[in-house]
Amino acid sequence: MAATTESVKADAAEAPLLNQKNLWAGISLYLVFYSFIRWYEGVYGWSAGLDSFAPEFETYWMNMLYIEIVIEVLLFAGINGYIWKTRDRKVMSITPREELRRHFTHWTWLVCYGWAIYWGASYFTEQDGTWHQTIVRDTDFTPSHIIEFYLSYPIYIITGSASFMYAKTRLPTYHEGLHLMYLIAVIGPFMILPNVGLNEWGHTFWFMEELFVAPLHYGFVFFGWAALAVMGVVNTEVMAIAKLLKKDLA
Amino acid sequence: MSASQSAVRSRAEAVQVSRTFDWMILFTLFTAVLGGYHIHYMLTGGDWDFWTDWKDRRLWVTVAPIVSITFPAAVQACLWWRYRLPVGATLSVVALMVGEWINRYMNFWGWTYFPVNICFPSNLLPGAIVLDVILMMGNSMTLTAVVGGLAYGLLFYPGNWPVIAPLHVPVEYNGMMMTLADLQGYHYVRTGTPEYIRMVEKGTLRTFGKDVAPVSAFFSGFVSIIIYFLWHFFGRWFAKTDFIADDAS
Repeated sequence: MAATTESVKADAAEAPLLNQKNLWAGISLYLVFYSFIRWYEGVYGWSAGLDSFAPEFETYWMNMLYIEIVIEVLLFAGINGYIWKTRDRKVMSITPREELRRHFTHWTWLVCYGWAIYWGASYFTEQDGTWHQTIVRDTDFTPSHIIEFYLSYPIYIITGSASFMYAKTRLPTYHEGLHLMYLIAVIGPFMILPNVGLNEWGHTFWFMEELFVAPLHYGFVFFGWAALAVMGVVNTEVMAIAKLLKKDLA
Repeated sequence: MSASQSAVRSRAEAVQVSRTFDWMILFTLFTAVLGGYHIHYMLTGGDWDFWTDWKDRRLWVTVAPIVSITFPAAVQACLWWRYRLPVGATLSVVALMVGEWINRYMNFWGWTYFPVNICFPSNLLPGAIVLDVILMMGNSMTLTAVVGGLAYGLLFYPGNWPVIAPLHVPVEYNGMMMTLADLQGYHYVRTGTPEYIRMVEKGTLRTFGKDVAPVSAFFSGFVSIIIYFLWHFFGRWFAKTDFIADDAS
């Protein structure tokens, strides 16, 4: 009886398997931030983003570009550095319950990664199409590019790399070896950012019509396919979690 | 707790944990597929999908199914062959269409002020449902590719007809005959649209009748069969769980 009481007390004091506050905070963070970004581009895209030679373009758009790049580099280094610095050096000896808890934390990261991919690859990428169909581009750093290429893409890259880093440093499943599809699911979408170099090079040296299906854009398509590698991650996770749940009940 | 023990303390908790993971996995799969599928579709068939005056009887009908059967085939390869979930194609297409509708409303209309009835997305759902039903009933990748792929191409135009038909009625404007969709494009100027690609109503076949859309759909279905086969194997490859050697460990 006493042992049962102790066990109940321990359960009450124990951290929950899934920290729902973190999950909802993560989802809300992207939603609120991108809602603000959408408002900003709605207002300052039209009032200050039509002529890249205008002084107000420098004020509202180029300064935003400089600031976001600095913050993104710091965030990437800070988050990944923190996860690596605080890594578990005895990851193979954690209890099954702790492992399950970490899988939940890992899935909180993955939910945020999927959410960030949506905003980057879907919302802001197609949005770029309608902006260029409306406004004649006179710079590589158009308002839509400053949001799409240099804000939303780095944000999903940071989220994806942090997710991978968390799995690698805290979960026994990923401790030994590199999960091929996980690498592709993170590096593939990451490669969309360097591919911007090809895109801008092409747009700069040829005057091309605003045709979204132009072959110049196929690099984005190829690396976009890498999002399917999330299926390999799901399969691995399902196997690992099923193994944890199917053991004898304590 | 020994390593052989479960991570949960009761069957009820195991069920709850399992359901919670289901939702987290579904959300991640949905959004990741949405992102990858959307960037693929908008950059391989997007221009025909963006504007009603590009939704013609030949290239739209040909291009859209061919480039859009890709992700449904790949996701089916994972969800059916691993989990017996007959929803891979529908899940992919619903994800894509959610992303497209949000974008057309929030950005095409909300940012650059194109009315939604010039920039609504194509409807891909009938073909996707048929793909899933054929896979579920037949349990055969070959059958799904051949019958489903062909149906996917053939169903595209009828699936969009109720929406696009009112915009294909002829109108006379400044002495010229055009469709209502053309008139929309005429009024809502897009600064960079290459018109020479859009002028597709050419070719000798049109001389003999109004076979343009069915012939295009048939050809699209033929290519969709091949693309389905290809992307089924892409999907299987992307669903692998292999590890590669970690030199650091």
